[in-house]
Amino acid sequence: MSSDHRLALDNCIKCSICVSHCPVARVTDKFAGPKQNGPDLERFRLEEPAAVHPSIGYCTNCKGCDVVCPSGVAVSAMNCRARGEYVSLHGAPLRDKILARVDRMGRAARLAPSLVNRLAGLRPLRLLAEKMLGISAAMTMPRYAKKTFLELYKPKNIGDTGRKVLYYPGCYVNYNAPEVGLALAEVLAHNNIRVEVEQFDCCGLPLIANGLLDTARDQAKKNLAKLQGYINRGYDIVTTCPSCHLTLRQEYRELFQLNTDPLHEKMLDVFEYLSVLLQQGKLVTRFEELPLQVGYHQPCHLKAAGCGVPSREILQLIPGLRVADLDAGCCGLAGTYGFKKEKYAISQAIGRNVFNAVKELGVRQVISECGMCQLQIHHLTGVAVYHPLQVLAQACGPGKWLAK
Amino acid sequence: MNKYTDVLIIGAGLSGLMAAAKAAELGKKVTLVAKGMGAVGLSSGCIDLWGYNLEDPNQVCQDPLAEIARLCAVNPQHPYARVQDVLEESLLFFRRVCQENGNPYLDHRGGNWLLPTALGTLRPTYLAPASMAVGDLQQVRGVLVVGFRELKDFYPDVLAANLKKSGVLQADCPLNTLMVCAGGGELTPNTLAHRLENPAVVDRIVDQIKPHLLPGAVLLLPPVLGERWDSQVAKNLAEKLGHPVYEVANIPPALPGQRLQQMLLHHVKGQGVEVVIGCTVNGARVADKRCTEVLATGAGKPIKISAKTVILATGSFLGGGLESKPGKAWESIFRLPVEIGHEKWSARDFLSMAGHLFNQMGIKVNEHLRPVDKTGEVIIENVMVTGANLAGCNHPIEKCGNGVAVASGYKAGKLAGEVGE
Repeated sequence: MSSDHRLALDNCIKCSICVSHCPVARVTDKFAGPKQNGPDLERFRLEEPAAVHPSIGYCTNCKGCDVVCPSGVAVSAMNCRARGEYVSLHGAPLRDKILARVDRMGRAARLAPSLVNRLAGLRPLRLLAEKMLGISAAMTMPRYAKKTFLELYKPKNIGDTGRKVLYYPGCYVNYNAPEVGLALAEVLAHNNIRVEVEQFDCCGLPLIANGLLDTARDQAKKNLAKLQGYINRGYDIVTTCPSCHLTLRQEYRELFQLNTDPLHEKMLDVFEYLSVLLQQGKLVTRFEELPLQVGYHQPCHLKAAGCGVPSREILQLIPGLRVADLDAGCCGLAGTYGFKKEKYAISQAIGRNVFNAVKELGVRQVISECGMCQLQIHHLTGVAVYHPLQVLAQACGPGKWLAK
Repeated sequence: MNKYTDVLIIGAGLSGLMAAAKAAELGKKVTLVAKGMGAVGLSSGCIDLWGYNLEDPNQVCQDPLAEIARLCAVNPQHPYARVQDVLEESLLFFRRVCQENGNPYLDHRGGNWLLPTALGTLRPTYLAPASMAVGDLQQVRGVLVVGFRELKDFYPDVLAANLKKSGVLQADCPLNTLMVCAGGGELTPNTLAHRLENPAVVDRIVDQIKPHLLPGAVLLLPPVLGERWDSQVAKNLAEKLGHPVYEVANIPPALPGQRLQQMLLHHVKGQGVEVVIGCTVNGARVADKRCTEVLATGAGKPIKISAKTVILATGSFLGGGLESKPGKAWESIFRLPVEIGHEKWSARDFLSMAGHLFNQMGIKVNEHLRPVDKTGEVIIENVMVTGANLAGCNHPIEKCGNGVAVASGYKAGKLAGEVGE
């Protein structure tokens, strides 16, 4: 226990702002709350690491507590470590070990993605999976793409702008939503920038969220070494998934004490990257009219990055497009959380605000940067949900980016 | 990463949100950044202007606006003296925003409300949300205090015993207490409020209360009646019971302050304000008495923000806007001077009626809310200071915290709105 860590603990003034903004504690009493599980119990864990409250498993790791804390306490990191301690003491159920390996599931589904998609829709099979494994039969499963992003993406020869960009797609884009990665390539090609890709490990967030910290740490080290290599060669790294981004940049440092400082400057959300181009007067702002009204949902992990909504300024450049903020808080899915039988109802109760906001605004399309938020919003409301990049790609020229 | 905006507001408390609402209404591009969620969510949810008589602090002030006018004459160092010109205008603006968002705030014929707290004491306040605005308790023909078994920190018997002692009720006014069950468990105010949004739960509460209702009784409940600012829980409960139902002020977390905060955040976002919570401003670059950019970090990433006007609404010591070490205090972003005087910073008694000196510490400003030094010279020309950052008021004693926040936030937003292209 470092003195910094103790100090961070003392910074908690017990104001309860984190409790009053916790989406889980709002809808259920099964979670003791971020303050109670975090800074309160951490005092006991300093002396006795086993003093972990079992309700820690109900934390979604949305990081809302970190965002709202006026005293700079890293509440969610304490909770992540506590969950790790709990799992190392009591073990994780098989279900969690499966769900946490989204990369392995993606690779396995590669063998026959259409078959996997069909099986995931079969009611009897889902009921069996609920009974045997505890995976909710009610939750919509993400669909696997016929080909991965890395298989589909063919770098084009584009006039050299001297800008070197490496894309970290993350598992969801690679296995489930390659169209987002392709939209990124399209948008950057519109600006004469070529995108490089590379085979990375999963960022490790699903592992962290399920308390499997050792495996996550190994992947973190490998990813960071690879990213550092590209940074050394003058690359900017862009991401499209806010959760991968936050994990690489913040969790690696907070949970594994790895040096992520180079990433703060050199790794950007793709819309941050485009904003930099815009500020330098280098962004191609020739966009086609897009007469659309869409709702916008800000993912929790984008909120937690503390940089605002980078897509906002860029999307305002598209003629005809109107973006209305849903302003409805967490969608409730939280990666693997909402797929768990005992948590499905909680996840849906949290997401109710998003459902209401979509209904109130009367929008038929929603945009959101996070693949899991997209899945949940579609599951909750039935409306089409896209990554903002798909909207931008549509405004860049021909091609059909908004038909799912 | 760089951001550019017309008006940058640092702090998401009441004064920051008021400044954002006004500047956005005047057509400015507004960005609001804050380290964490502002303290208005921890407040009672009421707007206190001025609580007690200047000469006799044991007497509740009957006409806060007139009292503030007298205060400004005798104490020109008080923040109210800097915002007196817009005080009434700012209150009208605040009430209009609340009204438009379906969370009306009521005044008490220009005087102070005397609203019961969870401890059964009576606190003066100027504006109250409809769900808290208990009329004259002297007139009521009965009081029923209702608590929830699931909720800690609200004890109907304590409220009732102290309310009886206060002598505000008529001698023959029946005063009863009741514990009801909202489905079991041990709940935080937020979880209970969420549960009460379910009409079936409210129906079960109604069934438990009905047998105990005396004709003409007013019901006092903890501040958990509804999650959102436009919630209908308190109204529905009152209609189903056929009796007036009110929430009393309680310690945080309490819903009325949170509802006010959510409503103002929702309002300013709807006005196009970019709100970034979890973004910590650590410093600023100042050249030729102008702030050229502020330096912030979001989850470790450095962000530079340039703005024509910067509104400092970061709060006092508790909010992190002011910092101190023994014998020294300063403002945390611009290192603006904070006068400390020679007396002791705090009184011996925590609840001293004289208040603590540290609460009066803050930044001195001129009539345009610009920070000034000892000689009255402006230190930074495009920075304005609002709310608990301001020197000279002792809000826990004076009951003026939210009033100063509303008026100074509004004024800063208005002045920022007048800054030309």
